[in-house]
Order: sequence, then C-alpha cells, then structure tokens
Amino acid sequence: MTRPRRPGRDDDPDRLYTLTGGRSRSDSDAFDLVTLVVSECEPTPGMQSEHVTILRMCQLPTAVVEIAAGLGLPVSIVRIMLSDLLDTGRISARHPRTARVADRLPDPEILEQVLVGLRNL
Amino acid sequence: MSPSSRPTAVALLISLAVTGSLCLWAVAAAPDSVRPALAWGAGGAAVVLSAAVAVAVQARANAGRLRARLTSETQRFTGEISRLVSASAAEGQRFTAETARIKSASAAETARLRSAAEAETARITAHAAAEIERLTAEIARLTARATRSETERSAAVAACANAAGRMQALATSMLADLREMEHRHAAEDVLGDLLHLDHRTAQAGRLADSIAVLTGARSGRRWAKPIVMESILRGAMGRISGYQRVRLHSTSDVAVAGHAAEGVMHALAELLDNAANFSPPTAEVHVYVEEVPAGIVLTVEDSGLVMSDVQLRRAERAVSATDQDLTGLSGTRLGLAVVGRLARKHGLTVAFRPSARGGTGALMMLPQELLTRTPVPAPAPVSRPVPEPEPTHGTAPAETGTATGAAAPTSDAQHPQHAPAPAEPATPAPADPTTGPAADSPASDTTGNLPRFGESGLPKRPRGRTLAAAEARAQAHSDDATAPRPRTSDPKEQAARFSSFRQAVRANSPHPEEGNTR
Repeated sequence: MTRPRRPGRDDDPDRLYTLTGGRSRSDSDAFDLVTLVVSECEPTPGMQSEHVTILRMCQLPTAVVEIAAGLGLPVSIVRIMLSDLLDTGRISARHPRTARVADRLPDPEILEQVLVGLRNL
Repeated sequence: MSPSSRPTAVALLISLAVTGSLCLWAVAAAPDSVRPALAWGAGGAAVVLSAAVAVAVQARANAGRLRARLTSETQRFTGEISRLVSASAAEGQRFTAETARIKSASAAETARLRSAAEAETARITAHAAAEIERLTAEIARLTARATRSETERSAAVAACANAAGRMQALATSMLADLREMEHRHAAEDVLGDLLHLDHRTAQAGRLADSIAVLTGARSGRRWAKPIVMESILRGAMGRISGYQRVRLHSTSDVAVAGHAAEGVMHALAELLDNAANFSPPTAEVHVYVEEVPAGIVLTVEDSGLVMSDVQLRRAERAVSATDQDLTGLSGTRLGLAVVGRLARKHGLTVAFRPSARGGTGALMMLPQELLTRTPVPAPAPVSRPVPEPEPTHGTAPAETGTATGAAAPTSDAQHPQHAPAPAEPATPAPADPTTGPAADSPASDTTGNLPRFGESGLPKRPRGRTLAAAEARAQAHSDDATAPRPRTSDPKEQAARFSSFRQAVRANSPHPEEGNTR
C-alpha cells in the first residue's frame, strides 16, 4: 500500500538496513531508475510488506523510481529489494535500453531529423 | 521349785491341811445320811478353797514382785532422762554457738559479696554507659552515612536518568537525520556508510533506552500511530548487533498501540540480543508471531546454549513482575532486568523454556489491550493518480537520486492507458491483447535484456508478453481510458504528447547534452 508521506521523515520504527538485511548495494545491475518492473505473481502471505506493495504496484509496468516514491524509500534500497524479487522470479524487469546500447547511440542529427519530421506530421 | 512359788505351795498345803481337817471333822460329826454328800461337797469346797487361797497367795507374790520391778525401772528411767536432758542442754549450747558463728560468717561473706557486686555493677554500668555512648555515636555516624549514600544514590540515579533521556533524544534525532541523509544520498558507498552509522546509532539508542528504563526515567519515544507487527519486529531487530541472523516469521496484521510500541520493541530487542549473544555466531535466531485469544505471543528461539532449570528459574525471576529492585543488577547483564521493568509497565508476560531448536525459547505475550487491527490495504495501482505529462520537462532524470518528479511522466508514458497517443509513433499499441504477443517476434521477451534495434540504431520497443498481459488487465478495468481518443489537431497538445514519448525513449541516456536535441 502506498503510504503518503514525506520521504526521509523518520516516522517508522524499522530502519532501512533491516529491510535489506544490511546490504547497501545490489549485486545485480539489472535495475536503473527507469527500468520497468512488472509483477509476475500475486503477493503471498508472510512476505515482507514492501515486497507485497511492490507486487501490487507493479501489476502495471512501473518504473523503479516510481516504486521508490510510492514506498517512500531510497532508490538504492528499492533496487536491492527488486533484485531479490527478480532472483526469485516474482517480477520481471525491462530496460528501455541497456547500458551496452548507450555506447552506440544514434546520431543526434538523425534524432533531430526525426524530431523535425514528427513535428511536421 | 522357784522361790516365788514356794509361799504358794506352803499356803496350799496349809489350807489343804486346815480344810481337810475341817472336812474330816465335819464328816465325822455329821449324821450318816448326809455323810457322802457332805464328804463330796466339803471335799470339793475344800479343794476349791485351797485353790483359791493358793491363787491369791500366788497373785500377791506376783504383785509384790512386779511392784519392785516397777520401782527399779522408774529409777533407771529417771536417771536416763536426766542424763539425756543434760546432754541435750550441752548440745543446745553447742548448736547456739555454732549458729552464731555461722551467722557472723555469713554476714561477713554477704557484706563482702555485696560490696563486690556493687563494685562490679558500678563497673559494668560505667562500661555500658561508655558502650551506649559509643554505639550512639556509631549509629549517628551510620545514619549520616546511610543518609548521605541514599542522597548520593538518588542523585546518581537522577543524573543517569537525565543523561539517558538526553542520550535518547540525541539518538532519536540522529536516527531522523540519518534517515534523511539516506534519502538524500543515492550513492551506494555513502548509503552503505550511512546504514552502518544508522545501525550503530540504533544500538546506542537501545542502550540509552535500557538505562532510562532502569533508572525510571521518562520512557523513550512515543509513536503517534499504531505500529504494525512487522515494523515492531524489524524495529526490534534493527537495535541489536546481530540483526542479520534474525529471521522473522510473521503473517499477522495486528498493530501495537503507539504508546506501548516502543516498550514492546525494546523488550523484544533485549530478548533478541540475548538470543543472538548466547548462540553461535552463525546460528539463526527465529521470531514467530502467533495470535492467541489473549493477545499475541512473540516467540524468540535460538539454537545456542540450553539454559538449565536453575538458569531458567533465575531468568524468570529476573523478568517477573515482583522483583523490581536494582540490587540484583549485575554490571553486565542488564537485558532481563530491562525486560522485567518493561513487562510490568505494559502488562507483558515473559516466560522461558527450552527450545525445540536446541537452545532456549523466550515467549512474550502482548495483552489484547495493546493491540489494534490495521485496515486491509487497498490495491495500489487502481487508485494511482494519472499525472499529466509535462511538456516542459527537459533534463534527463538519469543520474539524480531525487528523480521522483522527473520519473513520473517517464513511466506514465509507458502506459498506453494513461497516455495512449504518444506511444503510437513508436509501435502501435495493440488494441486487442490477443494479437499483441502474436504480432511481436518471440525474441522480444519480457526480461528486457534483449532489446532489438533498427537500422538507424534506434531501439525498437516491442511489447513483451508480460507487458501485453498487464495492459490487458489494465484495459479490463479501465475501458473508458482505452477508448480511442480522437486525434487532436492542436499543435500544443501534440507537442506535449510527443515530449513524453521523447522522454520515455531517452530516459536512461548517460549523455545529458542530448537534452538539447529538441
């Protein structure tokens, strides 16, 4: 459930390191800020409440930053939880583009032409 | 013949002779007719008379003899009596003298003893007086010392309580600061350090809480809202050093009332700390939550040392509600005493028993008064607001931690039901969910690590199966949103739609200068 609250406000007793078991970095780099996440299963009882919230939020594809904002948690923490969920196959993630592709980005001129062409539509 | 019987015999003979002669005379003188009778009678009378005379003579002789004997006996007695009287008189004199001597001796002795006793009494009295004086002084000294130490004790306790309260406040504000920093700094190295500091501060806060509880200071932080059980468990877990070994098993949606949440967390943290400290450094500590009619039972089970019966009893006594004295406090083991205080304050019941995991199990029961139910959370995505795409947003949100505002239109642009028109130029969104996956190539699967690229280097974004399914779900409950929107001829709206598309495509670009390509 999305808790409407100001991020960073200390109004919950559970500390952030207890959410991730003390990890502060995720071992997988499958997630960046705009990775789209879709849940693959329904939440099961006994799951961590953040995982339940993520699975509920991601019934529609949702970006990592949006999940972080909905949970009111830092993105790094959310990323760790998402990699846990990904490892157990409860979610799937989709990049708008991978880092590998970023090296051979299309020429800005082409993009500009596309932009102009689209505006002329 | 004895001499006493001789006169008797003489008298008998004489009387026999007299009476015999008289009888003979009388018989001779009597006529014949009465002669035999007379002879017999006279003879008998003569015999009787003679016998009487003899007896009388004998009695008289006896009387004389007895009288003489009486006289002699009397004389003998008189002599004897006089002798005895004189002897007793002498004895009496001797006795009197002896009595007088003894009396004087005893008087002397008594006087001596009395004087001695008086002296002894005086000595003892003086000694006792000195002793009393000494003891009075001692009592006064001890009283002063007791008063002073009592004052010192209460002053020390008050100082401790005050310091603990300040430490608590400091720890609370530090934790708030740290949480804010954790949100502000996205770099993983910084975040790791901050989390480390956070953990240390939470432990320090727990120590301050313990001292505050033991010194009876004001309780720690009060939460303004009920705290759900999961947060209680994690809050307790976060305050111990070995929190990574704690495994939580909870499906309960019960919340603990805000005024008691801190105490419950603290008590649970102490139990967890005990369990983690007294079990091998690699063993896990399990926490179970069980709802019972009387409330909630939290079970902390470790697989460490098995407590003996004596230790179990001692632990139960330490946490029992009766023993609330600080005297039984050892320097290093504060935990159980703290748990006992908290248990009494909030009405918790704590028990220990051997655990089936091989170690010790600690049970803590929260009474129904402390519990509230949280409402069942509604599914989030349905109620999610649809923000309008921001056409003026130009900066790439890639490397900023506070990308929440920038990311919202980015992700919304990916949802055809939220902004269907801009998605069309890339790939037409499948209106029919059944044709969507079939139209796409099987290589474009859902994991997203296999993107396809066109000849121009632009990435193609074919919809994955999951995405299509999600879209179908979305369409099912928002048909009105998916109704074909009439193409607008307003250039501003077109520009706005295209802007969101552009951001979606370019969202992860590591080259910020590309923002100038529009």
